[in-house]
Amino acid sequence: MKLKQILAAAMVSLMAVGLVAGCGGDKKKSADNGKKVQIEYWHVAAESFGGATVKELVADFNKTHPNIEVTAKYNPDMYKGLTQNLQAAIASGKNPDVVQMGYSFLNYAAENLQYTDLNKAFKEAGDENFMKDNFLPNVLNLAQTEDGKQIGLPYSVSVPVLYYNPEIFAKAGLDANNPPKTWDEVSKAAKQIKDKTGNMGFFMQEYADNWAQQGLIESNGGQMLKKVNGKVQAGFDSPEAAQAYQLLADMVKNGSGLHATNEEGFQAYLSGKLGMVCTTIGKRANFEKSAKFPVKAVPFPAFTGKEVKIPAGGNFLMVFSKDAAKQKAAIEFIKYLESPEALAKWSTGTGYLPPRKGVADDPKGFKKLADENPNIKMALNEMKKVSKWASFPGANGLQAEQLLIDVRDVILSGKMSAADALHQTAEKVNKLL
Amino acid sequence: MSKNSFQAMLYLLPAGLLFLIFFYWPLLQNAYLSLFSWNMVSPNMKYVGMENFSAIFASPELWKIFLNTVLFVVIMLVLNFVLPYIYSFILGHVITCCQAFYRSALFLPSTLSLAVASILFLWIYNPLAGPLQIILSWFSLESPRWFKEDYLVIFAICTIIGWKVFGYNMIVMLAAMVAVPKELIEAAMLENASNWTIFRKIILPMTSSTAIYVFTITVVFGLQYVLVPVNMLTQGGPDQGSSNLVYIIYQYAFTFFQTGRSAAYAVITMVCYLVFLYVKNKFLEKKVYYEN
Repeated sequence: MKLKQILAAAMVSLMAVGLVAGCGGDKKKSADNGKKVQIEYWHVAAESFGGATVKELVADFNKTHPNIEVTAKYNPDMYKGLTQNLQAAIASGKNPDVVQMGYSFLNYAAENLQYTDLNKAFKEAGDENFMKDNFLPNVLNLAQTEDGKQIGLPYSVSVPVLYYNPEIFAKAGLDANNPPKTWDEVSKAAKQIKDKTGNMGFFMQEYADNWAQQGLIESNGGQMLKKVNGKVQAGFDSPEAAQAYQLLADMVKNGSGLHATNEEGFQAYLSGKLGMVCTTIGKRANFEKSAKFPVKAVPFPAFTGKEVKIPAGGNFLMVFSKDAAKQKAAIEFIKYLESPEALAKWSTGTGYLPPRKGVADDPKGFKKLADENPNIKMALNEMKKVSKWASFPGANGLQAEQLLIDVRDVILSGKMSAADALHQTAEKVNKLL
Repeated sequence: MSKNSFQAMLYLLPAGLLFLIFFYWPLLQNAYLSLFSWNMVSPNMKYVGMENFSAIFASPELWKIFLNTVLFVVIMLVLNFVLPYIYSFILGHVITCCQAFYRSALFLPSTLSLAVASILFLWIYNPLAGPLQIILSWFSLESPRWFKEDYLVIFAICTIIGWKVFGYNMIVMLAAMVAVPKELIEAAMLENASNWTIFRKIILPMTSSTAIYVFTITVVFGLQYVLVPVNMLTQGGPDQGSSNLVYIIYQYAFTFFQTGRSAAYAVITMVCYLVFLYVKNKFLEKKVYYEN
C-alpha cells in the first residue's frame, strides 16, 4: 500500500516536472540557436493546389540561406481558416512571420491584426525601393487600404475568365473558335446550347464570396462600395448592378444557366454536361488535367460598349514578426518568394499570375509556359484590367459579405428580382457598416 | 456512513474536477463572453450587456434558424431513430438468413468520416452529372437543385447524416432487440399473438431504455454532426436555408469573428438543449422500463 502511494506520488511529480520542463524547453532551444533565425510561413496551398511548390520553394530557400530556417505551415479552409488560426496565434503571442492573406480580408486584417509595416521593414532591411521598383502601382494598390497604407505585398494574382467546352459548342452549332465576347453573346450561346444539345449553357462560380459577381457588376458600370460623406456604404443598389445580376438570373430562369454549389458546377463542366464556366484562372491547371475535352479559356466577357473591370483574387504576403531579427529574415524570405525564378515556379504550380514586373517575359520559365499554353497567355493580358476586390470595412465587414452571398441565392433562385433583392440587401449592409 | 461518503467524494474528485474545469468553466466563460462585443484578438473587449441577445431576438434570422433546426431534428429522428428501430426489429426477430452480412453492410458507412460522406453525396446529388439525376431522367424527371432549394437542402443534408449514423444506431438497437428473452416471445406465440402484438406489448417496452438513449443521441449528437456537411457544402446557404443553431454559432465566431454574438447564440442553444432534456426526463423517462 505504502509503496503504491509513493509510486503514485513519484509519477505525479515526474509528470509535473515534465510539463514545466516542456514549457521551458522551447525558449532555451531558440536561445541556443541564436545564430539560426527560425521563422514560420503560413500558407493555404493544399497538396492539390501548389502545396508541393511551397515545399520546394521553402527547401530551396533554406538551402541557400544557411542562417535562416523557414518552416511552412499549411492552413486548411483557405483564407478564412488561416485568419481563424492567425487570430488564435496572435492572441496567444505565437505569431507566425510571413502569412498569405486573401484580398477580401484586406480591411479586416488592417483593422484587427497587429501587422508589420512593410515600407518600414524593407527600409530597415536596407532595400527601401524593392516594392516600388519591381511592382506596378496598380498591383501594389491591391494590398493597400483605403488610406494608402501598404499592409502587404501582392504575391498571387488570379482573374476571373470564361472557360468553355469546344465540343459542346460544335454540337450546338456555335463557332468553337469564336467564343462569346459580350454577356449578351454569352446568354444567347447558353440558350442555343440548351436548346440544341440539352446540356446546361452557363455557370458562374458560387464560392462563399462575391468575387466573380463583383466583376460582372463593375463591368456594367456598377460598384460594390461607395463613399457617402466619408463613410463607406453599399454601392450595389444601382440599376447597373441590378441589370448585370438579372442577366444571370434570367439565364437560370430560362433553363440555360446553372444555379448550384460551386463543386457541382465544376463537376458538371468537367464531365461534359455544361458549356461555359466563369471562374478563376487559378482552376486552369486542374481543369486542363481533369477534363476529357480540350479546355479553352477566354477573357471575362464585356457588357457592350463598356470597359471590363475584374477584381484581383489570390493573396498578398503579410509580416507579423515580433523581433527585429525575425523581421529581417521574413523580409529576406519575401524577397526570395517574389524573385522571378520563384514566382515562375509558383505560377506553374498553381495557375496564379505573377504580380512582379517582367516575370511574364522572363525566358527562365514563365515565358516558355505562356507561349505554349494560349490559356495562360490570354490570362496574362488580363492583368491590366485588374482592380481591387471589394472588402467591407469595420467589425461587421465579413458579415456584410455574407449578406451578399445570401442575396445571390435569392436572386438566382428567382424569388425576387435583382433590383428589389439588391436594394433590400444594401439597406441591411448599410445598417451593419 | 459519513466516512464512506467522504471517501466516495474523494474518489470522485479527480473526475469531478476535470468535468468542472473542462465543461462548466467554459460554459460560464461563454456566458460571460456573450455580454461583450469582441473579435478574439482585439485588446479592448467592449461591454454591451444584453445587446447581443436583444439583437438576436429582434432579427428575423433567429426564427428561420429555429425552424430549420426543428426540421433537421424531425427528419433526423425519422432517419436515425425510427428507421433503425424498425430495421433492428426486422433483423433481430423477422429475418433469419444472412444476418451477419446485413449487420456489417449496414454498419459499414458509420466507419467513414462525415467529410468523406459529404463529398460522396455532393456527387450523388449533382443535378447535372450525378447518379441520382440519371435515375430521375429514366422517368423523365428533372433533378432538383438539392443544395440550392429551401427545405430540400435540409433533407439532403439529413440524408448524409443518416447514411453515417444509421448503422451505429441500428447496431445499438439490435443489441437491445436480441436481448429480449426468446421465451417471452415464444410464450406469446403459443398464445397466438400476432407479430404486431408481440412488437407492441413485448419488444417496445423491453427495448425502451435503449430506445430512449438512441433518441437522445440522435437529437443531441445529430445536430452537432450537421456542422460538417453544412460547412463543407452550403455554408448555411441558400440564403440561410440550411443554417441552424449549431452552424450559426460557428459562423458568427469563426467566419464573422463576432465572438459575443456567437456566445449569445451558444447560450440560446444551450437553453434549447436544457428544455429538450427536461421534457425528455419529465415525460419520456417515466414510460421507460429499466431492467435493473
